[in-house]
Amino acid sequence: MAKYFEKTDKWVVTFKYPLEPLEPPRELRGKPEINPDLCIGCGACAEACPPNAITKEIDYREGYAKIKIFYGRCIYCGRCWEVCPEGAIVLTNIFEMATPSKDDLIYEVNLELHTCSRCGRYTEFTERQVHRAYTLLTGIPRERRKELLDRMFLCRDCRRQVFSHDALRNRRTDKYGRASQTPF
Amino acid sequence: MGGRPRPRFRSVWVFHVDASACNGCDIEVLDVLTPFYDVERFGVKLVPTPRQADALLVSGSVNRQAVIGLKRVYEAMPPKPRIVAAVGACAIAGGIFYDSLAVYGGVDKIIPVHIYIPGCPPRPEAILFGLGQLLGLVNKKIEPRILYPGRRVLDRKYGVLFNERLYKDLRYYLTRYVGYYDRDYILDDLLEIINSSRTVEELREKIMDKASRLKDPRLREVYSIAGGYIVEKIREETGAV
Ligand code: SF4
Ligand code: SF4
Ligand code: SF4
Repeated sequence: MAKYFEKTDKWVVTFKYPLEPLEPPRELRGKPEINPDLCIGCGACAEACPPNAITKEIDYREGYAKIKIFYGRCIYCGRCWEVCPEGAIVLTNIFEMATPSKDDLIYEVNLELHTCSRCGRYTEFTERQVHRAYTLLTGIPRERRKELLDRMFLCRDCRRQVFSHDALRNRRTDKYGRASQTPF
Repeated sequence: MGGRPRPRFRSVWVFHVDASACNGCDIEVLDVLTPFYDVERFGVKLVPTPRQADALLVSGSVNRQAVIGLKRVYEAMPPKPRIVAAVGACAIAGGIFYDSLAVYGGVDKIIPVHIYIPGCPPRPEAILFGLGQLLGLVNKKIEPRILYPGRRVLDRKYGVLFNERLYKDLRYYLTRYVGYYDRDYILDDLLEIINSSRTVEELREKIMDKASRLKDPRLREVYSIAGGYIVEKIREETGAV
């Protein structure tokens, strides 16, 4: 009997947890976090998120794209992690998120919108997206690259105008001044 | 919304309400009662009727049927502490069902909630953490974060062979093969090898050498496949320009 009691404290399995810190496993899918240095504000994560825990809002007045995570609705599926083209969003293994107030469950990254180089209005994409598009152009043939660079810094409306303007200027006419072919 | 609960309760008797949960959360609530997690060591006890309960553990997204029961349970509780804990993403804001016609989406739309425990389902440890906060054993660790990083994105450094476009190609290729979790560290490893080599042949040798030294046959396979892919891509790129 004495032997039995000696052994019992080895058999205690109960967690000490809230009284002692606990190191969760590395692979645990916990709180998703955006690395603010890497995110470009593309909104792919907001598209992929099944319960729309991540939303993307564009604030044209202040000039910010807001990527907002509301942890209260997140189901920790990791689809944002899978689709993020920059590797900016990662599911950490933090699970200690219980809180008495819902406002604590918000993580927001505000990224500056690009301004059109022709009309000066805010575009619907961010400065960082333009920067990333620029870095993606390395290794592309020069003529093609120039063509792309001309339009890269314009907003959607200006791009359309510049394109039709160029097309009209370059159209080919026959000797009576009629458009002989489609201009492009 | 109700105020914060008193910091310390001697023992909280809880009644568990399933307000149209998918049973994931309910099983985790039962899990914290097992000897392994043993929430009864804090005096938290599951009671069979709301008339004896100090606290409600509500899980689920509260559909139109469940709201009737939930209100009756709340009214049947003794008027004094009437603590409500919302367990799971559904109970906090509707979770995965948030835009369904059938649900109210959130317990706090019906009754005041004192503690929110996120997770789908929350781990038993997360429920213990939430209950620990109710009892005043631990403090909350999360706070809202609103960031305004500058306008420059961090650029990755590439060696002579590589550029951003090839990096993205390799990344998507790896995602298809190994999924997002393993992708990240394999990609870091491969990027290091690529950046340290100056010619395609050298790169090819280095990757094959690395692959042959790996113990896990699956990893060996992935390294050799991805290595072959990236060597081909770099050849294409340098040939085209
Ligand atoms: S883990 Fe899933 S639910 Fe959570 S933010 Fe990412 S995509 Fe949305
Ligand atoms: S997908 Fe990635 S880069 Fe795009 S907005 Fe989300 S976190 Fe930022
Ligand atoms: S939070 Fe997840 S596990 Fe819990 S009831 Fe909702 S869907 Fe089920």
